[in-house]
Amino acid sequence: MTSAMSPSERRLQKELMSLIKDPPPGVSVDAEQAEQNLLQWTIHMEGATGTLYEGESFQLQFKFSNKYPFDSPEVTFVGSNIPVHPHVYSNGHICLSILTDDWSPALSVQAVCLSIVSMLSSCREKQQPPDNAFYVKTCNKNPKKTKWWYHDDSV
Amino acid sequence: MLRFFISFFSSLFQMMIHILTTKKHIIQNVLSIYIKTTGGNISIDIDPKCDVSHIKKMVAPQIGLQPEELKVIFAGKELGDDIIIEECDLGQQSILHVVKIKPGNVQSKISASSTPNSKTLMPLCESLDDLMFSASSGSRTASISIGNETSTSDSLLDEIEVVANNEKSKPKKVHFYVYCPTCKKLTQGKLRVRCHFCKSGAFTVHSDPQNWSHVLESKQITGTCENDSEFCENILQNKEPTFAEFYFKCSEHISLGENDQAVPLDLIRPNLRQLQCLACFEITETIFSFPCEDDHVTCLDCFEAYCKAKLSDRQFWQHPEYGYTLACPSGCANSFIKEIHHFRLLDDEHYERYHRFATEEFVLQSGGLLCPQPGCGMGILADPECIRITCQNCKYVFCRNCLQGYHIGSCDPPEIQETSGTSGDCGTELNCDNRNGAGDDASRTTIKVITKPCPSCKTPTERDGGCMHMVCTRAGCQFHWCWVCQTEWTRECMGDHWFG
Repeated sequence: MTSAMSPSERRLQKELMSLIKDPPPGVSVDAEQAEQNLLQWTIHMEGATGTLYEGESFQLQFKFSNKYPFDSPEVTFVGSNIPVHPHVYSNGHICLSILTDDWSPALSVQAVCLSIVSMLSSCREKQQPPDNAFYVKTCNKNPKKTKWWYHDDSV
Repeated sequence: MLRFFISFFSSLFQMMIHILTTKKHIIQNVLSIYIKTTGGNISIDIDPKCDVSHIKKMVAPQIGLQPEELKVIFAGKELGDDIIIEECDLGQQSILHVVKIKPGNVQSKISASSTPNSKTLMPLCESLDDLMFSASSGSRTASISIGNETSTSDSLLDEIEVVANNEKSKPKKVHFYVYCPTCKKLTQGKLRVRCHFCKSGAFTVHSDPQNWSHVLESKQITGTCENDSEFCENILQNKEPTFAEFYFKCSEHISLGENDQAVPLDLIRPNLRQLQCLACFEITETIFSFPCEDDHVTCLDCFEAYCKAKLSDRQFWQHPEYGYTLACPSGCANSFIKEIHHFRLLDDEHYERYHRFATEEFVLQSGGLLCPQPGCGMGILADPECIRITCQNCKYVFCRNCLQGYHIGSCDPPEIQETSGTSGDCGTELNCDNRNGAGDDASRTTIKVITKPCPSCKTPTERDGGCMHMVCTRAGCQFHWCWVCQTEWTRECMGDHWFG
């Protein structure tokens, strides 16, 4: 079975299996959809208890290229509920360095999910990024094409 | 009657097949090798099952000596009399060296030792094991052999345990991987040794190499040169040590002579410790071991995928010493791949691209220029004073400073260039070069309209959304610049027109 798959598909298959079998708290993957198309996953995420996002649920979309994991996945919030957060634009784009500059093939879908959960959990005030209106108007559809200016690690 | 003929012919046919196969069988059982002596070369056919003393008996009369006066040398070792030829990793057309034992030296190592350890009398390839060459190369291996670092000694112990469990304490025969220029692929290599000074293969080592740096770096292992050339005699009389020089041959094709060598790919290793590929998580038999502290490895498929991904983003690094190379995908410090022949694992199309990019980066780093004409890109090394550059390849004449068609006076300011777009100044420049087709003119126009050159390296850059803060994606440049000002990105740009 494995021989017919490309290295990136083999890797994604393994990640998918482990995410289905042993998901981090509050995270679950739409297994059926991912099995149909290994290069695009939808992940459901629950706001952690005791945080500003408790009781909310979000959807994340992961898109992978055939260069994965040497190329980072394209990760955006999708659906009706986009979290209001200083690093999340209202079009779903996320300003998180491990999604572009600091990506390493040693990271994984699970590691990205945990980073996003922790990014949301550490937020102390729900507000949109200061340049949200302009960014959403001018940005490229692919958040990876944006050259992010990571200037605040505290939120 | 017909039946008789059929059975007759079928039995005849079987006989012929039998003759053919047995003949083939005989051919397989003869090893044609060369014997190199001080008097010249002798070609002999031997049965691989015979021993070294048999070779001595065959060769001695041909060079007018007694078998007892001879030493047989192969791959850095004097072969003991009772060594069976087929245990020596000898291929067809291999070269054995036969020398006369020097008069003062009759008490050779073999006869002197009362209980000869047969292992030391085997050629190097047979006496070494994988364990020695599986640890990280360079300084770290050295620290293992010194053994003053507890953590590294521990990991070495682990390795020994794993091997002990798998192989019942019998270490595996060493595996070397090479790029063979004849087979044009990754093959298994055979370690060979010759004299550092006179390049003669009649050379015996004083000790076995214990790690990759012993093999790859020069002047690591001393030995005795048995060649009678005056050159080495002089060196020996001057009491300079003679050093071994190691090289590799491909084990998959019949040797084409002494110059038929292969490049060692020291980072490709057997996966003794059952390490997981960092990309696809598979555990494969052969791995690419990155030269980093954390022992990151990938399988060979993923190594190729990694190279292709980095190549398409032009993210290889022009290392001042090693050349156009990559580091560990996890971004470990000091983990650049030293032997760039590892990139030969790429297919022809990608290797050709690797080669082109490498040349371009080398030209740029040496202060050269690349012809800006679409489809050309010729590397040009010109006098730094010279502003008017003529491409030797496509004859395009351009300005060194703005990489536009050559002009008299100062370069156009960027804004004017942008607004003038396809017409005006560049039109006249296009006329002076009729050799290129209309397609090139069109692509040149496109590049000119939608791109701006990086102010540092002049690479045409397209902005397809996002803010005005540009970072050049070319590895080695990574200049931060402003799309509006076309100069270095400043706080003023950020305050005034970050987003347009």
